[in-house]
Amino acid sequence: MLAAEYGFHFHTMYGEPYWDESAYYQFSLAQIENHIEDPTAEIHQMCLSIVDEVVNSEKLMKRFAIPQAHWDFVRQSWLNKEPSLYSRLDLVYDGVNPAKLLENNADTPTSLYESGFWQWLWLEHQVQEGHIARNADQFNSLQEKLVHRLGEIAQFYQVHEMHFACCKDTEEDRGTVQYLQDCASEAGIEDKFVYVEDIGLSENGLFTDMSNNPLLSCFKLYPWEFMLSESYGDHLETADTNWIEPPWKAILSNKALLPLLWQRFPNHPNLLPSYFSDGAHKASSNEKWIKKPLFSREGANISLLDNGEEKVLSEGPYGEEGFILQAYSPLPVFDGNHTLIGSWLVDDMPAGISIREDKSPITQDLSRYLPHIIL
Amino acid sequence: MATQKRSKHINLRRMRKAFALKPLAVGVAGVMLSACSDDRQDARIYTSLDECKIDNPDAIAQCDAAYQTALDEAVRTSPRYNSEYDCEHEFGANQCQYVNNNQGSFFMPFMAGFMVSQLLSPSRYYSQPLYTSYSPYSSYRSRWVTADGYVFNGDIRKRNYRVRPDAFKPKPTVTRTMSRGGFGSSVRAKSSWGSSSRSGSWGS
Repeated sequence: MLAAEYGFHFHTMYGEPYWDESAYYQFSLAQIENHIEDPTAEIHQMCLSIVDEVVNSEKLMKRFAIPQAHWDFVRQSWLNKEPSLYSRLDLVYDGVNPAKLLENNADTPTSLYESGFWQWLWLEHQVQEGHIARNADQFNSLQEKLVHRLGEIAQFYQVHEMHFACCKDTEEDRGTVQYLQDCASEAGIEDKFVYVEDIGLSENGLFTDMSNNPLLSCFKLYPWEFMLSESYGDHLETADTNWIEPPWKAILSNKALLPLLWQRFPNHPNLLPSYFSDGAHKASSNEKWIKKPLFSREGANISLLDNGEEKVLSEGPYGEEGFILQAYSPLPVFDGNHTLIGSWLVDDMPAGISIREDKSPITQDLSRYLPHIIL
Repeated sequence: MATQKRSKHINLRRMRKAFALKPLAVGVAGVMLSACSDDRQDARIYTSLDECKIDNPDAIAQCDAAYQTALDEAVRTSPRYNSEYDCEHEFGANQCQYVNNNQGSFFMPFMAGFMVSQLLSPSRYYSQPLYTSYSPYSSYRSRWVTADGYVFNGDIRKRNYRVRPDAFKPKPTVTRTMSRGGFGSSVRAKSSWGSSSRSGSWGS
């Protein structure tokens, strides 16, 4: 009932409970601050230093499978310091040992609404009804920071309107984008919506919405690696749209980031050993490795290398651009569920966590979302 | 006590959705008017050149110039449609003209009015073409709307507004949309695959 009132449409999927409010995770403030918040800020800075290196190296641009025609487009967006909105680092964390970075969802992270708004509202209600202590807190300043950051981005580009785009036929993505529209609106920005498939190209090379308004600034919940390789990719440079996330996120969200991080910051407590699959001789074969494509969504195309033997864990359409290996670090198991921490950043500020759990060791898109408290 | 680690306040009214997640047609908004910053200026809307002159007997020449500026802007920036049907669907019967110039051939709505500000200022006046719609299908119906789709609060009888200066910023030239669908092909290519996957989300 409450869900419908706030337009929360994706709380069950295919009959599986996606949002589970019967349970929650509890952290201490020290766990949150020392084990999640601080490492999140540090990992993000390490990742940015890799981006800086990659844009200045043709060899690395190639390694990251950025199409050569767009090298300059991606590089310029970095040099112009085009502002980023948000990212989500996926962490393996058992509550005791240092959190380890699994991947950086820097381009199109979802489950934003559940984290920033729904989880927050859940705590308000639980406290009001006396189920949870009044002094309980939550690591979740997402919504506050998103509103503020959208305002800053509008300032940066000197605009007072923004388009928001996602693909057709996905209620979840539409929900995420609507949430960001609400945040923009709260920041005093006029929001407009267009489906990615409906974006048009005008005679003079601008991208347009269905009312033929040019897309001057546009948030897109659509991966850069797709945009760069599709037919309108050739018009990106001349169309001059201010994209959110900016094009340099093509590097930050790329799995080639993981081996680069391990090269530059070897043995960092929050990193897992990682190599390009063609440099796999460095990865000792008597250990377990996870093999992931450079571009992949929703845990697709992942295999486990165990003693040199490859076992496919999930199938999918990705992988033509190459693979990386990452040391296998199983998700901690609580109450029979494998738990993954999503640690959010708005721009470069840690902004909260979301927790997903799954019966299987690989978090797929049907994983349940659970709220958390700090006490 | 440590500082609170969650959002201090969330505007629940903003988040409440009577009609949840229906794609918006065109954003009906009054952002130029509702913003609280006080660099706003008075603007007035005229539906004809004569109206402007009657209102400003000591600024006849400025009225002429502001009207001409708005007309020129309209030719450059007005919404364009490939068919008369599409244009009339948005703006109403007999509200569109056929244009055939060096930018191509298309249909565009007639300028229904022009908004001026600081007409008597020695430095410069501002002028902007406005449109309105008589179509029952349009969110512009009986409202003032700018070339880039801003819809003013209140109906067309309201002629005085306070607007931010950027309401008068030149709009980008829009020519006709020549094609659509140049983004999104990877979705079709990749979403035919897989069964466990939720219906094609590209988030991660």
